[in-house]
Amino acid sequence: MNIKQLLILFVGAIVLASCSKLEEKYRGGVEAVAEGGVNVADVLQGAYNALNNPFQDQSRFWAASQHTTDETIGPTRGPDWDDNGVWRVLHSHNWDADHLFLRDTYRELLQAQYAASNVLALNPSAQQAAEAKFIRALSMWCILDGWDQVPVRTDLDKVTVLPEVLKGKTAYDFIMKDLSEALPNLPVGSAIKANKDAARALMMKMLLNKGVYAGSRKAPTFDAADMNQVIALADQILNSGYQLDDNYFDAFGPANSSKSKEMIYALENTNGLRGGNNQSRWYCTLHYNQRPSGWNGFTTVAETYDRFEAGDKRLSASYPGVTDVSGLKVGLLAGQQFDQNGAPLKDRKNNNLAYTKTVKLKETGNDLEITGIRVVKYAPDYKVEFPAENEYVIFRAADVWLMKAEALLRTGRAGDGLAIVNTIRTKRGATPFTSLTLDNLLDERSRELYWEGWRRNDLVRFGKFLGAWTEKPASGEERLLFAIPSEQLAVNPNLSQNPGY
Amino acid sequence: MLGYVKNTYFARLKTFKPLYMTPKRLLKAMLLPVVMLFAFQVAVAQNKTVSGKVTDGKDGSPVAGASVAAKGTTTGTSTAADGSFQLSVPANAKVLVVSSVGFGTLEVNITDNMNIVLASSGSNLNEVVVVGYGSARKKDQTGAVAQVKAKDFNKGVLTAADQMIQGKVAGVQVVNNSGAPGGGTTVRIRGNSSIRSSNQPLFVVDGVPLDGGNARPGLGNNLGGIPGANPLNFINPNDIASMEILKDASAAAIYGSRGANGVILITTKKGQAGAPKIDFNAGVGVASIMKRFEVMDGDEYRAALTKYGATSGNYGDNVDALGAILRNAVTQNYNASVSGGNDAGKYRLSIGLTDQQGIIKESGLKRATASLSGSYKFLDSKKLGLDFNLFTAQSIENVAPISNDAGFQGSLIGHALQWNPTHPLRNSDGSVYVIPQFGNTSINPLAMLEAYDDNVNTTEVLASVSPYYKFNNNLEYRLLYSIRKGVGVRKNEIKRFLNLQGNLGSASVGTAEQNTQQLTHTLTYNNQITSDINLNAVAGYEYMKYDNLSYGMGGSDFADFAGLSYYNYLQNAPGNRRGIGSGAGPITELQSYFARAVINWQDRLVLTGTVRADGSSKFGANNKYGVFPSFALAWNLSNEKFLANNKVVNNLKVRAGWGRTGNQEFPAAASLNRYQINGPNDVTRSNFGNPDLTWEQSDMINVGADFGLFDDRVWGTIDWFQKTSTKVLFEQIVAQPGPPGSAKYWINLPGNILNTGFEVAVNAALVRGKDFSWNAGINASFLKNELRDFGNQFFETGGLSGQGISGARAQRLVSGQPLNVFYLRQFEGIDANGQSIYTNDGNKLFYSGNPNPTTLLGITTDLNYKKFSAVINMNGAFGHVIYNNTLNTVLPIGNLGTRNIASSLVGDNKAKEAISNAIAPSTRYLESGNYLKLANATVSYNVGNIGKAFRNVNISLTGQNLFVITKFSGFDPEVNVDKQVDGIPSFGIEYIPYPTARTILLGVSFGL
Repeated sequence: MNIKQLLILFVGAIVLASCSKLEEKYRGGVEAVAEGGVNVADVLQGAYNALNNPFQDQSRFWAASQHTTDETIGPTRGPDWDDNGVWRVLHSHNWDADHLFLRDTYRELLQAQYAASNVLALNPSAQQAAEAKFIRALSMWCILDGWDQVPVRTDLDKVTVLPEVLKGKTAYDFIMKDLSEALPNLPVGSAIKANKDAARALMMKMLLNKGVYAGSRKAPTFDAADMNQVIALADQILNSGYQLDDNYFDAFGPANSSKSKEMIYALENTNGLRGGNNQSRWYCTLHYNQRPSGWNGFTTVAETYDRFEAGDKRLSASYPGVTDVSGLKVGLLAGQQFDQNGAPLKDRKNNNLAYTKTVKLKETGNDLEITGIRVVKYAPDYKVEFPAENEYVIFRAADVWLMKAEALLRTGRAGDGLAIVNTIRTKRGATPFTSLTLDNLLDERSRELYWEGWRRNDLVRFGKFLGAWTEKPASGEERLLFAIPSEQLAVNPNLSQNPGY
Repeated sequence: MLGYVKNTYFARLKTFKPLYMTPKRLLKAMLLPVVMLFAFQVAVAQNKTVSGKVTDGKDGSPVAGASVAAKGTTTGTSTAADGSFQLSVPANAKVLVVSSVGFGTLEVNITDNMNIVLASSGSNLNEVVVVGYGSARKKDQTGAVAQVKAKDFNKGVLTAADQMIQGKVAGVQVVNNSGAPGGGTTVRIRGNSSIRSSNQPLFVVDGVPLDGGNARPGLGNNLGGIPGANPLNFINPNDIASMEILKDASAAAIYGSRGANGVILITTKKGQAGAPKIDFNAGVGVASIMKRFEVMDGDEYRAALTKYGATSGNYGDNVDALGAILRNAVTQNYNASVSGGNDAGKYRLSIGLTDQQGIIKESGLKRATASLSGSYKFLDSKKLGLDFNLFTAQSIENVAPISNDAGFQGSLIGHALQWNPTHPLRNSDGSVYVIPQFGNTSINPLAMLEAYDDNVNTTEVLASVSPYYKFNNNLEYRLLYSIRKGVGVRKNEIKRFLNLQGNLGSASVGTAEQNTQQLTHTLTYNNQITSDINLNAVAGYEYMKYDNLSYGMGGSDFADFAGLSYYNYLQNAPGNRRGIGSGAGPITELQSYFARAVINWQDRLVLTGTVRADGSSKFGANNKYGVFPSFALAWNLSNEKFLANNKVVNNLKVRAGWGRTGNQEFPAAASLNRYQINGPNDVTRSNFGNPDLTWEQSDMINVGADFGLFDDRVWGTIDWFQKTSTKVLFEQIVAQPGPPGSAKYWINLPGNILNTGFEVAVNAALVRGKDFSWNAGINASFLKNELRDFGNQFFETGGLSGQGISGARAQRLVSGQPLNVFYLRQFEGIDANGQSIYTNDGNKLFYSGNPNPTTLLGITTDLNYKKFSAVINMNGAFGHVIYNNTLNTVLPIGNLGTRNIASSLVGDNKAKEAISNAIAPSTRYLESGNYLKLANATVSYNVGNIGKAFRNVNISLTGQNLFVITKFSGFDPEVNVDKQVDGIPSFGIEYIPYPTARTILLGVSFGL
């Protein structure tokens, strides 16, 4: 064999050996066609986690539910907080289909729906399926509430198969079916997992708002049978032994999952394991010179502050582990703020850090850093300021009681409703009502549930969402729904823009 | 998020029949003097001495370092700096072989006191140039290819190859993204043709294609994303002999699915036959900031406070916070090489040491490189040969805390600019103020420097072996096997005392690994088939494998131990504040078959055809292979009768070509449905796969001409091109609901991107005297860029940063507009209340400017007078706008009373802007990006030989970034801060970057 032959043989061998099939050797995760490669429980946890950002971030569903109301405003403070106007248009009801945060909210809630549907596609146990259906129902309910049009994907593998869109009553039925199917197989107990009471609370929300979703958003009606179901579900929940907390703010404090007796369903925040952006609830409102140093942003407006009588424990309080450390109180922060030694704080312009009741959408004066009453519902934990370990509350017993009272009121049993409301008011240090009306019940819901993300839902149901309040004139009927984000309109022809946009 | 690795799927390859299964061979060796291959005889005992001088035929300047050898002997020498040589040759030697890198090879009969004129590159068409997978005679070139040789490279403190050709080649834009030592660049050949994936060209080092990345772990911390470094840093610029830029598709199509953004071939220096020689050069330089962003000093600030009636904000001092973090930075640079050999074997060994301080304190780059190359021949027949290359580099970077996307927490430059100039930076005891009196959102830049530590230690090796066998004079087989291994370790900490929001003291250690393997077989056939027809053909097979990994760990909430760095005791972080992660990028494979034929008919017509079939594991199952053809034709008009002996035109070649290239820069596994692992018991679907996913395709037409006039005193190139990119790779919005891991999936868009341009490069030997010569060159390119047929979709990018504009975007990709067009509120001035006025009250946004330059300019001139020479290189870009995000959010009028503001905001003639004016993004912050920069200028003096030991001693003084002519108010109009949104690249936004340095460098070089 001469050298040429040797060479040819050698090279031939190399070429043959090096011919590749070009297999995709993916190592960063698991290939979906081999669904056996994933554990259903893991995917279920992924679905729970998919709820974190759309609920806990300050610029997602919470912003959609709060900034559009008389509880919350995001003023532009001179050079700060312009953010291309995203906050101003929410409060003044001038958002459009390109709104960055409404777009992301819509997207992330639907992603949570996908993650839940994904669990159902993996042959889950009965309880896993029930949990996934609860997660799916919760995310779909938000979409129904805000946008009316709920896209649903049946083929989870082919992106080119477009989601069909459920609207109004169809969407309502789909969600209620999920919840009814889930209920028997859901566990009892831990509030940071889907549970029977959580599903019941969500069904209560659905039934109470059925007139909005399946009837007329502008003038919803309330069917007595639905209200009776609300009452029945409330009783089933409250029989589990929930109690109003002695300290109202324990429901939100750093150890709320162990301290609060009101918690029905909350999103888990555990450092090093999982969690959302709950610290944004104090960062978004506190001034730079407070502790924790915040972003000096959102405030509440006069309407909300003025609803409270002096002595209402929900208005303002010292909180152990917080006020003694930094001087920071919880609740609505009005007037001069102090440090832990009682020394008054200053803003960056050397004004006294004294929060004013007056606040405008565009602050231009020398006091632009101090306008607006701040709201701290979740007490920060100085040991773990960032990321927060306070669980993020979605359903709690006080809300269930108030919903029951509302259902009683709407079915002519105002007296029974009054008793429930007065129980709460007494516990909170407020004077009992002499009578219960839709108006004082709506106000009571705000006093009890302010900044918890329910205000828009309540105002729509009570027919007050289009009214005028601080820095917001009366708005057009189209504002009862958000615009379908143009990003999604462009890629899913099954969607159509909501009327008026 | 990082995840573990679990591979459970094997994509099916579409049935493919390989074209060849027999061995393949490659074209001739690269720039090695071909003649040497034939010359081997036994030396005879008796010797004689030959002496003479080698000069450049273009301008008469001496050619230093040219190889001179008697034909048929093993001994040779190289010329001194003045071009002179002295060589002892056998008495019977008749012919000298003279060659130099980039010049042709010349054989001349031995005479007394020889004066040898080497043909210069300007017009010499017999010169051999590197092309993809081989080399070609320059006269056979049919595509738009530009060559830049070492002697024409930019001078100064340059760490990466691409910086050396900035402004040198028409149609090539090189932007230094920041002034950080070793910082990244943006290189665009003929504009911008891709909207999602990288627009960087493919770099090929001595036949080894690089993958565009490096093993430098990325970092994002409290401050945002810290920009990356230049992936070419591992090659010592001093080792580079020349670079060829394949601009058009007919030249780049041989690189198939990676050629769409153009290709830059880097050829490194090789040993030459002759006695061993040692070359040494050293440089020491001092750098300082080139141009400042003008902010107020303490007195101006007090005046502004008075003017505005502000009651707070004056703390009595007058400090220069930017000055406090800057320094006169010293750079030292040493290179040494040993080379030599004979006909049977040549070698070159080179080491380089660079210690470059950054102009920002604490920052800098230390790099050590070593390379070894060799070329050996075996057997009596010398038919078997082996070429090899080994490049190694170790670099240690100290990175400044400067991020691309700092929000209200800012980053170092932002804090230095906005520091209240009346507030002292230090306490009376000399320690730094941590929380200044004017609020804890202000961060003392000195405290930040003290609290921050970010160092990256990268080790990289690129090794290649290339045995070849010449069956006969016409046919050669060559194998190239290369491996590239890079390992980077990055350690980062932010000390607890720094008053960043949420800062508990954090640290991380990250590691990245890069492994690339390449196997290339080529078979080259080169023959004068008939007296009229010359055929040069190459066919080959190539396989590449990329394997990238990363892992990291970090924590926060550390206890301080004096003098220790958190990252050295991560275990101190509480359990719930630790994080770990590992990720393995998918192994990607690329398998290709390619062929090229060049047919030359009578040196009048040259026809080139190439084809490449690329298969990639990344492509979707339905599209595993792509085919990329090209054709080009050149007509040497100067060889036609009607131009023969023309007094004006001594060389004229017209060229026309068409080619198809691809771009496959999308992440692996994008075609698959998959899950990602987020954490313990936490898995989510992360991607919608697209089994049809395939490469982006660019078709380019190029028409051009090369000319030489007046006895080659004027020569140059003109080109016109049109490049249409289709199947544009893009991440499409998912119709929700979709997987939580990604709101997008990769598709090939129906739209297309059109780039058209005209390029001209003209060089002239203005004076060709014996003592004095003067050459000048200018190159210009005119580019137009448009996104078309994109439907009603648009995508936003250009994410602006800073306090008060969270989430704002400045740019769009939309049909009928240039890529990255600015889309902004239209600013109309300041009203009587000091508030901004916008068209339509700011409720409507407008397409308001193009960030892509329409004109690029490069100017080069060199003068030689006796032993003095001077070289000046300038470059510029025109016709575009830059968004000044720094002015917008870091230094607005609203800072007055707390922090500093831009000097330009307050002036006697200015309408008084209210402190409360909101800082909405608008056309107010668009500034002309036009600039002309004196990139570098060198004056050198050729001392000549000193004694017997030192030969070719040269002393030089180089000034880099001496001045820039621009109206742009930021640090440097040559800027591209990465402001991408969801992976869609931005372009032309300035945001508190690492400032550009001006450097004065003293250099000395000599041989032994």
